Amino acid sequence: MITGPVLLLAILVIAAVALYVLRRLEWVASLLAAALTALVAFALWNLPLDAPTRLAGRIVAVGQAVVWEDISLHITPASRALLVFLFATAALTFILVWRTYQGRTFYPFGLALLALWSVAALLQPLTLAPFAIVLVSILSVFVIQAGRAGETHGAWRQLLFPTLSIPLFIVAAWYIDQAPLNPDDTTAYRVASWLLIAGFVLLLQPAPLHVAIPAVAGQAPPVVAAFLWIGGQSVTLFLLQRFLVTYPWLSTAVDSARWLLWLGVFTAVLGGVLTFAQRRLGRLVGYASLYDYGILIVALGLRGTAGLPTAIWLLLTRTLSLLTLATGAAAIRHYMASDRLERVSGAVSRLPWAVIAMIVGGFGLAGLPLTAQFSSRWALLQLVAEEDPRWALLLLFGALGVVLGSVRAGRACFGSLPLAPVERESHSVALLCAALVFCGLLLGLFPQLLTGPVAAVILPLSVLGP
Amino acid sequence: MAMSLTDLFHQLSLLIGLPVVLLAGAGAAIIVIARDWRVALLGYTVVSIGLALLFSQIIPTQWALLQIIVGGLIAVMLYLSASQLRPKPHELVHWEARWPRMASLTSFRALTVGLAAAIFFLVHESVQLPQLESLFRDALLWLVLMGLLGLALHEEPLHAGLSLLTFLGGAELLLFTLTQRRMLVGMMFGGQLLLGLAVSYLVLAHGLRARVSDGEAT
Repeated sequence: MITGPVLLLAILVIAAVALYVLRRLEWVASLLAAALTALVAFALWNLPLDAPTRLAGRIVAVGQAVVWEDISLHITPASRALLVFLFATAALTFILVWRTYQGRTFYPFGLALLALWSVAALLQPLTLAPFAIVLVSILSVFVIQAGRAGETHGAWRQLLFPTLSIPLFIVAAWYIDQAPLNPDDTTAYRVASWLLIAGFVLLLQPAPLHVAIPAVAGQAPPVVAAFLWIGGQSVTLFLLQRFLVTYPWLSTAVDSARWLLWLGVFTAVLGGVLTFAQRRLGRLVGYASLYDYGILIVALGLRGTAGLPTAIWLLLTRTLSLLTLATGAAAIRHYMASDRLERVSGAVSRLPWAVIAMIVGGFGLAGLPLTAQFSSRWALLQLVAEEDPRWALLLLFGALGVVLGSVRAGRACFGSLPLAPVERESHSVALLCAALVFCGLLLGLFPQLLTGPVAAVILPLSVLGP
Repeated sequence: MAMSLTDLFHQLSLLIGLPVVLLAGAGAAIIVIARDWRVALLGYTVVSIGLALLFSQIIPTQWALLQIIVGGLIAVMLYLSASQLRPKPHELVHWEARWPRMASLTSFRALTVGLAAAIFFLVHESVQLPQLESLFRDALLWLVLMGLLGLALHEEPLHAGLSLLTFLGGAELLLFTLTQRRMLVGMMFGGQLLLGLAVSYLVLAHGLRARVSDGEAT
């Protein structure tokens, strides 16, 4: 009998090696990667976890754990939801990367990143799971740099803070093991709490540790950067939720809800304000995503009955908005051969759908009405206002920065074209941008379309164990 | 009589103490101070050997030797990257313009290491770490301090990467003392190897950029 985690990781590793060989045939590599990840997402969503099933003549137990020494990998209902989200996002990203010319090495490395994120989501003991996130950050170096000789700040910063966090988690694990030996003394739990909190701050990288986000945004291809943020941040927040549910003393020892709220609000406000100040599209995408990331941290910090569903809802809608913004920015950067605002003048006459996608994506991240994020953001603002209305006002202030930054970038795309000829956007780019904009609009008008998926993952996430 | 590896380390155990800690500490300081990439790599090699000898006191000798293998592989990868960035014999490049270019003066870095040493001697007795002997605690504190100082002072990937590896090596003294599991040792060394590969890649990307911009300037 084949266990689910082994099958999943074997497929990903074999496919990554095959795609590395095929990477020069970019359309083949991208379509294969997209088809594979879409298929895995579909299979994970539909195959039962509690009973073996027959696949290609073999019996596969998707929900059975694979154990090796004292570690194990286990697909639980909660981790399955995360995996489905990651693989579905990856399927879309592989297509976008192909059509927006983001680099050929992304296809094999993208699958390797998915494998490591899967390990982080499935690994037990929980205290070793951050190690997989650290490996992701190290591997990300290759897709951020994408074979270019040049600035290395983004790639370096991407790996630095997560790597520094590893000793904290392992020492915390030792304190957690020691704590039951002396139940009357709470010192071990207190020390473990602080170590875990410090470790998660380094992994989450909220402001003021956010330096990797703008550096990656300025250096990496925009769609690749968006994929790294979507995947990395969602897995890290999932891991944090697992820790908070598994170790209830973590919430009480250091009031994690309070520090998540503070960090989230600070990150969002800083991201919003700095979005407005950017003069390059890549960094604009980075700071807009930082604002949105802050909002997600705030949602997780609420942790009430409504906090978790709102966080899941935000996670889904932000993915669409972020990919829309990144795709628009990537297309403009490619066709205009620059992402400086002063050099994209006239882009709208040649790349109308890319410009629309960039503006609509920016508005989506700000949470404006008629965008995918509006309803989830509105729900969040109401919840935050119940805690403290000033925080809601601060989040709105950050949103204003993102809106103004998007308008500024959009305005820069008008005007006269440069003297050098600019190619018109291809039909496929226009089609992808239009599809993303349309999906955002559809979810803005009918947010209830996401009720099913959100409801399906709330219960497993709220009771997930080690 | 044939001598096993474990026997050899037992014979050397008299030396594995303060001399090895001093040697590893000096290697870490060299990584921070030296500008020349060959000297920095030599410093890292000394740190790796010192760490392997120290690890042999807290984990099985065979596992500890992995540090030498991993450290050696990383040094070779970095050497291969760095050697591609050396100026060609016919290129007349002033030494200040050669790769790696530093964000600070060597004398400044030496001064900061001196200040860090002063702070170390002031605070090391008051730091309490679980299960760790005082000598190992001092080694850990110094290596972590030098690692963090190197990360703060260097933006060039070779020196910054070596500093990060030094930080991890120092932290492993505590991790392996607390948790002596084969899985953990393997994961840490495997992770370091991947990190070394990524750093080598960044060294090349960063160094080639400097050469390209020099070429454009001339």
